[in-house]
Amino acid sequence: MSITTPRRQRRLGSFIRAVPAWAYIILSATVVLPPVAWIVSTSLKTGSGTLEFPPKWIPAPFSSEGYVGLLTSTNIRFFVNSLIYAGGSIVLALAICIPAAYVATRYRSRRMETLMTGILVLSMVPAIVVFIALYSMFVKTALINTYPMMIIVYTAIICGQTILFLRNFIENIPVEIEEAAAIDGCSRMQILWRIILPLIRPGIAAVAIFIFVFVWNDFLVGTVLATTEDMKTVQNGIVRYITTGFGSFWGLFAAFIVVAFIPVLSIFLAFQRWFVAGMTSGGVKG
Amino acid sequence: MVWLYVLPVSAVFLFVFVGPLIYTAWTALHETSYYQIGKFSGLNSFARLFSDSDLPSRIWTTLVFSLGALVIALPAGLLSAIVLNNLHRFKRSVRSLFLLPWLMSQATAGTIWLWFLNPNYGPASAITKSLGFGPTDVFSTPTSALVAVTLMTAWWSYPQAMLLFLGALQTIPEELRESLKVDGGGIWHQFVNITLPYLRNTIVSVVVVLLMLYVQMVTIILVTTRGGPIGSTETLSMRVYNQMFDKFDLSGASATAILLFAVNIVLTLVAIRFRRKESL
Repeated sequence: MSITTPRRQRRLGSFIRAVPAWAYIILSATVVLPPVAWIVSTSLKTGSGTLEFPPKWIPAPFSSEGYVGLLTSTNIRFFVNSLIYAGGSIVLALAICIPAAYVATRYRSRRMETLMTGILVLSMVPAIVVFIALYSMFVKTALINTYPMMIIVYTAIICGQTILFLRNFIENIPVEIEEAAAIDGCSRMQILWRIILPLIRPGIAAVAIFIFVFVWNDFLVGTVLATTEDMKTVQNGIVRYITTGFGSFWGLFAAFIVVAFIPVLSIFLAFQRWFVAGMTSGGVKG
Repeated sequence: MVWLYVLPVSAVFLFVFVGPLIYTAWTALHETSYYQIGKFSGLNSFARLFSDSDLPSRIWTTLVFSLGALVIALPAGLLSAIVLNNLHRFKRSVRSLFLLPWLMSQATAGTIWLWFLNPNYGPASAITKSLGFGPTDVFSTPTSALVAVTLMTAWWSYPQAMLLFLGALQTIPEELRESLKVDGGGIWHQFVNITLPYLRNTIVSVVVVLLMLYVQMVTIILVTTRGGPIGSTETLSMRVYNQMFDKFDLSGASATAILLFAVNIVLTLVAIRFRRKESL
């Protein structure tokens, strides 16, 4: 008795101390979850079910109407476009940022630092400021609505963060390895390709995840620089229902949102740690 | 030869940032009609911008929107980070719950709230109606629209603050906390005497990161209100968009964009001043 009582008291104490935390967690859940649950519920309703009032949280009857209706060539095109933009941006950003991050870490000079600060400052310029100029420049040439242009713009927006993040990774590699390789006659390019690249693989993975999520979730680039429907992105596909919708489009709209969210959610669940690391490295986005 | 490695990045930045910025300044100094640049007009478009009777209200909207979202997202982010940091069970699930709004795109966050608050079919409307108030027609009156857009933006962005705080909290040395526990300090005591002072720099950089995000926010406003009703949710960024794609006023949009750029430069300078490796 005399031994168990203090332990029980302590357990009770830690239980009481956990109450405010769990109260906060429950409060957050009531703020975060309702619109999400409502969208999932809507996506499983019939067309007329979505227009019932007062609304029902549990669809009756359940229906896959919304999801089946998504299989149109227009919708598939949105997803394919976003995949192309994301994939292209990952490849281009890594191809130009890894060499830059490497020399910026290993060959420090005042001019190099100035250049890197310049890149960082520029990447914080509000996107809308440069978009109006890009739009009016592109619209006069044949550059608007082209995959390469879209990919270059996405890449430019995320380059600052990508370089910053990769630099942190390269900094943690001991210089001695490179020095030894240099003595063995490796050129700078060979060192980068054969030694640095394999060592920063986790960093590359985190950056690739970050770029994918950024491009996948971005609405503004697709809105401004893709003016024809066949070049639009997944996010444009979501908003299209609201802006041009007529009839009962809410079931389709909700199903579209759920499907569009699945890639990001699965990447998050599969690679939580890298995901968080990549997303917080840069600070500003959007 | 080192410069060859930074050449591609520099080229991309010249093309996407430097060029367009110069072009924006150039168009702001010219007359334009439908994206065609006319003759040189000096600072006319800036004179037009600053004599516009709408400008003070747009700046006011920007301030209310940015500071309003900040006042909610900053404490919510800090509190979420502290709760998460002291949690021993269900840590992953709670973190996923806290992060959920931010995992969604801005377009998704805006549109799902739009549907949730729909005056005819939304559950929010069902609640307010059953309580005897009318339907939740928040986007039809100026004040409620601004409040709604601000709250949605805070809802979407607080996890970003949380992640930055979480990163900083994990660097607090364990001994510091242990020593306080020996002294018998409570949770509040620990928060005021250790956590807050330790996080001072992080708080400043989170404030700057969030303010930059809010000042340049277009998507959430664009998908919900487009700046309306009667311009009540038109922040400076939204005004640039509307002038460009609604009124086809290229030089006017450029002048507003330059103003926005100036605001952003100030924030960037503060950000660099308080720069922490992991948060900028």
